[in-house]
Amino acid sequence: MTGKQRRQFWSAVHTVLILVAIFIMLVPIVWIFLAAFKTHVDVYQLKLFFTPTLENFDIVFDDPYRLGEKLFNSTFVALVTVIIAIPIATLAAYSFSRFSMRGETMMLVIILATQFVPAVVIILPFFVMFRDIGLLDTRTGLILVNLAIVMPFAIWMIKGFIDGIPIDTEEAAMVDGSSRLQVIRNIVLPMAAPGLLTSAIFCFIIAWNEFLFALILTNKEAVTLPIGLALFKGEEGDLWNLLSAAGIIIMAPMFVLALMIRRYFVQGMTMGAVR
Amino acid sequence: MAEIKLKNLTKRWGEFVGVDSQSLHIKDREFLVLLGPSGCGKTTTMRMIAGLEDPTEGEVWIGDRMVNDDLPKDRDVAMVFQNYGLYPHMTIFENIAYPLRARGVAKSEINPRVEKAAEQVELTQFLDRKPKALSGGQRQRVALARAIVRTPKVFLMDEPLSNLDAKLRVTMRAELKHLSRELQVTTVYVTHDQIEAMTLADRVAVMKHGVIQQLGTPDEIYNDPANLFVAGFIGSPAMNLINGSVEAGEFVTTGGTRLVKLNTADRDKAILGVRADDMNVHEAGQGDIDVKIYAFENTGESTLLTVQWGRQRVIARGDRHLRKEQDDVVGISLNADHLYLFDPETEDRIRI
Repeated sequence: MTGKQRRQFWSAVHTVLILVAIFIMLVPIVWIFLAAFKTHVDVYQLKLFFTPTLENFDIVFDDPYRLGEKLFNSTFVALVTVIIAIPIATLAAYSFSRFSMRGETMMLVIILATQFVPAVVIILPFFVMFRDIGLLDTRTGLILVNLAIVMPFAIWMIKGFIDGIPIDTEEAAMVDGSSRLQVIRNIVLPMAAPGLLTSAIFCFIIAWNEFLFALILTNKEAVTLPIGLALFKGEEGDLWNLLSAAGIIIMAPMFVLALMIRRYFVQGMTMGAVR
Repeated sequence: MAEIKLKNLTKRWGEFVGVDSQSLHIKDREFLVLLGPSGCGKTTTMRMIAGLEDPTEGEVWIGDRMVNDDLPKDRDVAMVFQNYGLYPHMTIFENIAYPLRARGVAKSEINPRVEKAAEQVELTQFLDRKPKALSGGQRQRVALARAIVRTPKVFLMDEPLSNLDAKLRVTMRAELKHLSRELQVTTVYVTHDQIEAMTLADRVAVMKHGVIQQLGTPDEIYNDPANLFVAGFIGSPAMNLINGSVEAGEFVTTGGTRLVKLNTADRDKAILGVRADDMNVHEAGQGDIDVKIYAFENTGESTLLTVQWGRQRVIARGDRHLRKEQDDVVGISLNADHLYLFDPETEDRIRI
């Protein structure tokens, strides 16, 4: 093979490998996407061509499934979680990034280590606690749990972004007449904005997809979308067409957010590099 | 406008001493340069004046106020940073206006003052751009404009020219000097570049290991160095330092060459300092001593002759029209009026 042929060969191999990877990742999603528009009859057949229907989306929002309530719960819980988590995490991350404290590294490790504890291990204590203080099956309870889950990630992520802001810039602002809080508001927040947005979306996705805690800690009022999926296990078996329609409702915002996060993620990563 | 007084200022990080109990009186309207190699404590000293670093001990006075407990914003200083410290998300106008806005200056007053500052550093046409659309020199000008937009008591400049390329550095240096004479504000300027120190300063404080080695006018530190460190640090090429001894009123190199008569007591070990400019180059046999050329360099404005002197090499500056080859032999004589003698143990100057 000549050099040119060799290059063409390897470039073809790359393309094939990428296509295989994409295929493996997309198959379930494509299947769900198709099933969501199929009738109950069609769903068990691997037909690529069929008469699409929007019926499934109507059904899932109607009695008895009432997916709208779950959609509201999910949105509310995820949004409030992010709204509370990001400001607190930003201040914590700023402190970790800019001040040296005794046991700083230790604290950072502990914060991250909380995420190494398997959720199943702590779910029972949570259940008992929430039952005693009346937070079972409430959105407030879920928000608290989600905060505990997303905060460590948010702190670590935002700390990374703040580390990337040159300290000179902040010191210049302090000499120029700003207090520490003004520096954070006028300099750090605008400069870390892509990072904050990335972290916010990241937290939103985690809270949105959270399953285990919502499963154990809710049963009726505060049920979220992922738990709502279980509703479609009927007497006649799994209602795959309805499950798929609900699945798309869960995934759709994630697609949009993933697209947004991608743009800002690149921006966030290169931010520290261009002084 | 104000004088700055540092009283026994000390900065320690654990065992490491950054600045070791230094006192310094910077006069009103003076341009003082802190000069030294990296890690000598010059930047730390400046940062303590700015309030970005807390002194371990000692006092910082700006004007008639002890500012140790004041936040940077309350010290009424303006600072130019090595990496410019610009606000990348703001336009040049907003960058320059920031010190005014942060201090609550009336809006109607901000515009004319920003425009005046921009004019002084020739940035008027770039006011609506963002910093990343400017070149290094222009960014440095923005940093300067941001400093001069107010009239602070003190200017602090932390190696402001060191990120610029060599040519731009020379231009900016002149602009800086012009501006500083025009504004007449007390200025502390940190640099490791002796040319900047020589050209800009009213007085230079040469620092090493957190201690001021010598405080004096550029003239004094160049022509009357207090010790071996200052002598070796100031000047390019560096001062020739020749090891030897003083015997019977003459300096004798370790190689045994009797060099010059010195009016001083005998001592076993001494170092003779002589600048390249104070070594006169002659034809072989016509100087005090004949030496072989190790390397001949023509810089255009002069020639530099590195010559082998026993076991040491020294550099002499020759006429710009002088032409010699490697291994040629030339005569060297020393300009007896500008010789310096140092004690190798204490590194102190021995007055002769």
